[in-house]
Amino acid sequence: MGPTSPTSHTNPTDHKREPVPRNRSRRPAARPTEAGAAPLRRGSRRGSPQVRLRVGFVLIAMVLSLFGARLVQLQGLDPEQYAEMAAAEGTVEVVLPAQRGDILDRNGQPLAASIDGLMVVGDPKQTEDKAPEIARFLSQRLDVDYFTVLKRLRAKDSRFEYLARHVPSTLATDVLQAAEDHGYKGLSTRRDAVRTYPGHDVAANLVGFMGTDKPYGGLEEVFNKALSGTDGKERYEVGAGNRIPLGNNTEVPAVNGQDLHTTIDRDLQWYTQRVLRQAVEASGGLSGLAIVMDSRTGEVLSLADDPTFDADDPGASPVRDRRARSLNLSYEPGSVEKVLTLSALIDAGQVNARTKLLVPGELHREDRVIHDHWEHGLIKLTLAGVLAKSSNVGTVLASDRFAPGQLRSYLTKFGLGQPTNVGLGAESRGNLPDPSVWNDQIEDRIDFGQSLSVNAMQMAAAVNTIANHGVRVDPTLIQGEARRDDGMEIGTDVSTERRVVSPEAARQMTLMMERTVDPEDGVAPLAQVPGYVVAGKTGTAQRVGTCGTGADAHSCYDGTDTVSFAGFAPAQNPRFTIYVVIQAPKIAGAGGGATAGPVFSKLMGYALQRYGVAPINKLQTRLPVEW
Amino acid sequence: MSTPALQLRERFPRLAEDVVARARLTVVPRRRVRAARMPFVTLVSLVLLGGVVGLLCFNTQMQQASFAATSLETEANNLAARQQTLHSELQTLNDPQHLAAQAQSLGMVVGESACTVRLASRTTQSDCAPATAANTPPLLARPPKKPNVLDPKPVVVEVAPAPGSGGGGGHHGHRGGGPSQHDTGRG
Repeated sequence: MGPTSPTSHTNPTDHKREPVPRNRSRRPAARPTEAGAAPLRRGSRRGSPQVRLRVGFVLIAMVLSLFGARLVQLQGLDPEQYAEMAAAEGTVEVVLPAQRGDILDRNGQPLAASIDGLMVVGDPKQTEDKAPEIARFLSQRLDVDYFTVLKRLRAKDSRFEYLARHVPSTLATDVLQAAEDHGYKGLSTRRDAVRTYPGHDVAANLVGFMGTDKPYGGLEEVFNKALSGTDGKERYEVGAGNRIPLGNNTEVPAVNGQDLHTTIDRDLQWYTQRVLRQAVEASGGLSGLAIVMDSRTGEVLSLADDPTFDADDPGASPVRDRRARSLNLSYEPGSVEKVLTLSALIDAGQVNARTKLLVPGELHREDRVIHDHWEHGLIKLTLAGVLAKSSNVGTVLASDRFAPGQLRSYLTKFGLGQPTNVGLGAESRGNLPDPSVWNDQIEDRIDFGQSLSVNAMQMAAAVNTIANHGVRVDPTLIQGEARRDDGMEIGTDVSTERRVVSPEAARQMTLMMERTVDPEDGVAPLAQVPGYVVAGKTGTAQRVGTCGTGADAHSCYDGTDTVSFAGFAPAQNPRFTIYVVIQAPKIAGAGGGATAGPVFSKLMGYALQRYGVAPINKLQTRLPVEW
Repeated sequence: MSTPALQLRERFPRLAEDVVARARLTVVPRRRVRAARMPFVTLVSLVLLGGVVGLLCFNTQMQQASFAATSLETEANNLAARQQTLHSELQTLNDPQHLAAQAQSLGMVVGESACTVRLASRTTQSDCAPATAANTPPLLARPPKKPNVLDPKPVVVEVAPAPGSGGGGGHHGHRGGGPSQHDTGRG
């Protein structure tokens, strides 16, 4: 209706009123109207301005409403996502990695340290063409496996493959530079800290090790949270690789992990491990452990396990060697336990070091017979003699004087049957029979250290109670205090002590223990340390193993022994308590005195000299062993 | 208003004519004193130019500083990594095992007697004896036992004459002697 309607309305009337002959002669009726209107209304073909405006407006409104809808969509429906996308353009977000805390020995020497490192990653899209060359290059430079790397360099549908992890920064940078020079594309680096263990196997069982992404075993695992710290992050805008000045910049600084100060003395630990290994190898033993403890404070100066592993190369050793046997292996302590039994008996006022006992060759108790480790008839031994010669029969006879339940309560006070919480996870609590199953026969055997099991740290702390004049101090591995991942606070600051036996009972026990290393009357002359007076006790216990096979398998004494020696020096004013255990020695004549005694002697001599303890001109006690 | 003025003019037609003429106030277009435009325009342009150039210089400076910061940061990172590597090498040299190996290669042993020197009285205390290697443990673990295929028993050929040479020499000549000999050899 638009552009044609005005002409159709007006023209017919014009035509009727004023007939124009010129027009009429030339054109038919319909045509002249158009010809006549044309000069009057120019631009009528485009229609009237109003209509055009309206149409234009509608068009503009349509376009604008499209814009509006898009605006609502952008701002109203999902503004965050678009804002983020906008911000991400040119914004770099980097993680500021927190440095893992070091694990240090008591002198600040590192047992575990962290250094800056990088990981080398590859983009298979770019690397697959030259995969063999790159793989060969990397395997030569970075100690990675050629075939593994080759497979990763050719990975399908992947743009990110780990090629080497935990590479020291300088090495990784050099290698990447060299790769660039060779024209190898698609390699890059990311931050990836390197954990090093400068001592390799020194205290490895105690420290544990870091796997590719998480810690395994030892202090590394137990204190993982405290050691790791918290990563920080930083966002900033970059242009052509450079930070844009005055651009957006936010930074959350990283909180580095705490250093863990242990009570270990690295040099002493090294010496302990080497001497222990020598002894285990020489005796053909299955394993061995040694603990050196400061008698007064309970600080563990050295905690050695053998066989051990290299923390820098844990994969080279079997899993069983990577644990701390000193804490998670429980075994029957044997005669070393007599120290606890007899000092408890003295403390209870039932006996003293000179108590006279008539000791027969064997003792029939209900259906069992108790023997001594050497054949003898009826002999007259003092209590000191019973300990010095390690007589089972004598110990059982003396212990008959315990009131019911008294021995168990003393042993509990000595710390048996409870974890020492010295610091590592997975500590065995040992086994002190429950009062409900405790009977006379079990008590007889417990008197001399069978039918109960301990871990080495429990036993060392218990013997240390005698060295510390009757007061048991918690053994500790951590200087100051530190929080385990499970929330437990441990360390020298929070260790506790409690009196177990009287100072007099401890003094008498010390004198009795001095007789153990006597060349004539004792069983362990090899444990002597020249220049010092030593108090100690041997142990040779039957070892629980597995008998039978298949469904018939059960626990039994398998014929092997646990040989051990616990002692302290200088006897009257002890500085160090040392406990050495060797499991299942194979050589003939192996025993607490012959096998573990020399290890004790070497370690004690080394420790006393290292800590400048002056020799004492004092003769060994002459406490009588017979009467 | 005009009436009194007319009367005045009529009253003093001539006398005051001049005065009146002079006194008649007329509205004149205000005369504009045009300050010279040049200095102002110059000043503004200079300020503008100065601002723009200054901003440009400042920006360039900042960019330059940013480049410098980036390269310094890279350098600092490299140096830190180098320092850490050196530190870790130092730790390796400090390793008790390494020190012991060095000491043993110089012929040193772990002491065994608790000999104490009293400087005041110029005496020694306790038994002072020369050190032996008894307390010095072997540095390395025994190599694992090889299977018999790789470590065959030495073939001992008994030869009747020449008893002076001894059978043990032949034994030592073969690889993998008894483990106990191996140990004492190192200790």
